Amino acid sequence: MKKSGQRTGAQALVEGLAKAGADVVFGYPGGNVLDIFDAVRESGMRFVLGRHEQGCVHMADGYARSLGRPGVVLVTSGPGLTNTITGLGCANMDGVPIVLVCGQVPLDQIGTDAFQEADTVGLTRAVSKHNFLVKSADEIPETMAQAFYIATHGKPGPVVIDVPRDCQRALTAAKHPERVCLRAYHPEVYATPREVGRLAKLLNEAKRPVIYAGGGVIAADAAGDVTALAHKAQIPVATTMMGIGSIDERDPLALGMSGMYGAPAANIALSEADVILALGVRFNDRTTGFSPGMSRRAKIVHVDCDASSINKNVTVHLGIVADVKDLLATVDSRIRPAEHSVWAARLAAERAADEARNPRPCAAVLPTDVIVATDVGEHQLWAVRNVPHVYPRHFLSSGGMGAMGFGIPAAIGAAIARPGHPVVALVGDGGAQMTGEELAVAVEHNLAVVFVVFVNRSLGLVRRMQDEEFGGRRFATDLVSPDFVRLARAYGMKGVRAKGVESLPSALARSLKSKSPTLVEVIL
Amino acid sequence: MKESIYRLCCYVENKPGVLARIVGLISGRGYNIQTLNVGPTEDGTVSRMKIDVLGSERVVNQIILQLRNCVNVIEVTSRRR
Ligand SMILES: Cc1ncc(C[n+]2csc(CCOP(=O)(O)OP(=O)(O)O)c2C)c(N)n1
Repeated sequence: MKKSGQRTGAQALVEGLAKAGADVVFGYPGGNVLDIFDAVRESGMRFVLGRHEQGCVHMADGYARSLGRPGVVLVTSGPGLTNTITGLGCANMDGVPIVLVCGQVPLDQIGTDAFQEADTVGLTRAVSKHNFLVKSADEIPETMAQAFYIATHGKPGPVVIDVPRDCQRALTAAKHPERVCLRAYHPEVYATPREVGRLAKLLNEAKRPVIYAGGGVIAADAAGDVTALAHKAQIPVATTMMGIGSIDERDPLALGMSGMYGAPAANIALSEADVILALGVRFNDRTTGFSPGMSRRAKIVHVDCDASSINKNVTVHLGIVADVKDLLATVDSRIRPAEHSVWAARLAAERAADEARNPRPCAAVLPTDVIVATDVGEHQLWAVRNVPHVYPRHFLSSGGMGAMGFGIPAAIGAAIARPGHPVVALVGDGGAQMTGEELAVAVEHNLAVVFVVFVNRSLGLVRRMQDEEFGGRRFATDLVSPDFVRLARAYGMKGVRAKGVESLPSALARSLKSKSPTLVEVIL
Repeated sequence: MKESIYRLCCYVENKPGVLARIVGLISGRGYNIQTLNVGPTEDGTVSRMKIDVLGSERVVNQIILQLRNCVNVIEVTSRRR
């Protein structure tokens, strides 16, 4: 008998999703999660059926990165869960908030090698920010609230909730907490007045300052604050790949992305600066190829909300554990307007020379508000340099993990998160064969995404490494690829072919106008 | 870099999975735990773990900061043995 206020654990779980503001669930069903699926159906919440659980997580990731709100994933136990590991690892490395709910065998069968049982908590520990195994329906409301809190506070990340089938079914009257209070997790961090003072003094006295903006700026929604500081004190801004969008690239102070495949002006700035204000970066040399020579003489100030990232890869002059947005607001009144005209002019000249050498015909046809998702490989490096970078959360790429297969589903997630925005996926023929099955989702939901597949019949970036590091001994990097135009049509979307990158701009322009899912195959 | 044995003293929430998470964080970076001692405190909801690891100061500091990031870790202190 149901008493008043009672509902099933599954229903309480879906209430928890709604309470946290979730409006879309990405997922894939299976026997041990059907009660929750039934509750989702009943709630009327939008549900997007992926074609593989990895795709579901990358979609939720693209949703979260482009919107700044947590993505929600719902999968079944066992193989459903193991299929999510790459997606979780990718989101975990890049600090993307995701709440992943997974079915589990009933409590009394855990540990018995039951059908479709997997040790979810064990498997996801290293690829999630936190995980929970629910032990009763009564725990569900509080666990949901805690999961969303953890996913979105401090350095964001994926949180996994493992829900045994009997807990989904049991009745509970447990209420949703109004506030989350975690005994041991207090991610609020603030700079000390002394640190703020030292930072202001360093910036005010700098002759050749540069801001080095990373993914932490985007995650903290601090792009506007970075731009304001840059303007006030006339400080040029270089970014990491994850920090793209921290400043509008049309701004005279924007230098572009640094790194081996980045913009020369950004690299020069970092190697010649006397003060580097590194905001939410990880100094991770692999993200963009290899890190530029950071000036040894430069005083590096590193601001990050994660204490463990300071002095991890680079020893810094001043480390400040704080929220980037908070800190910039606090330090603002202490920063004096300044000119660094010789320095800024030198960098602007470098930038202009680079732009003259490298025209960007594709950027010219893409609208400034385009959202671009890339896969991983040579085309990714091309993408960084060839699409417009105007707004934060408009360039989505797997930075830390470098997970091939990210591009197609992430673009779909972004298109669902931000309807009305033009969305383009740029992927290689390797990555397109890892998660190409998700094209069906774009067709099913009639999403106006343009999927550009660069067909070089090779795992290009790896082949390049074999050429450079293995004396040209190419092996296992030739790729037999399908006819992607026909593949697209088989899925029921438009497919067009462009011969060479030269013909991509016109193909892109036409495809963007069509407002329906389109695949552009670029034969390289 | 010079390595020594550090004793980490962690106060953690007494919940299933916390021990595995902490051990995983240390062993996952390739560091061997030399001694591990887990016991209750007067507050039954809190456990104390004493963990001896061999590592450089830099690495051990990194481990401590990452332990503090764990959702169930209340406090971590360390001293060189
Ligand atoms: C899941 C995964 N497996 C392997 C790699 C290693 N890897 C990095 S780039 C690359 C080649 C990508 O080839 P393709 O998708 O065709 O893009 P291209 O480099 O040719 O533009 C590979 C195999 C990876 N990053 N991710």
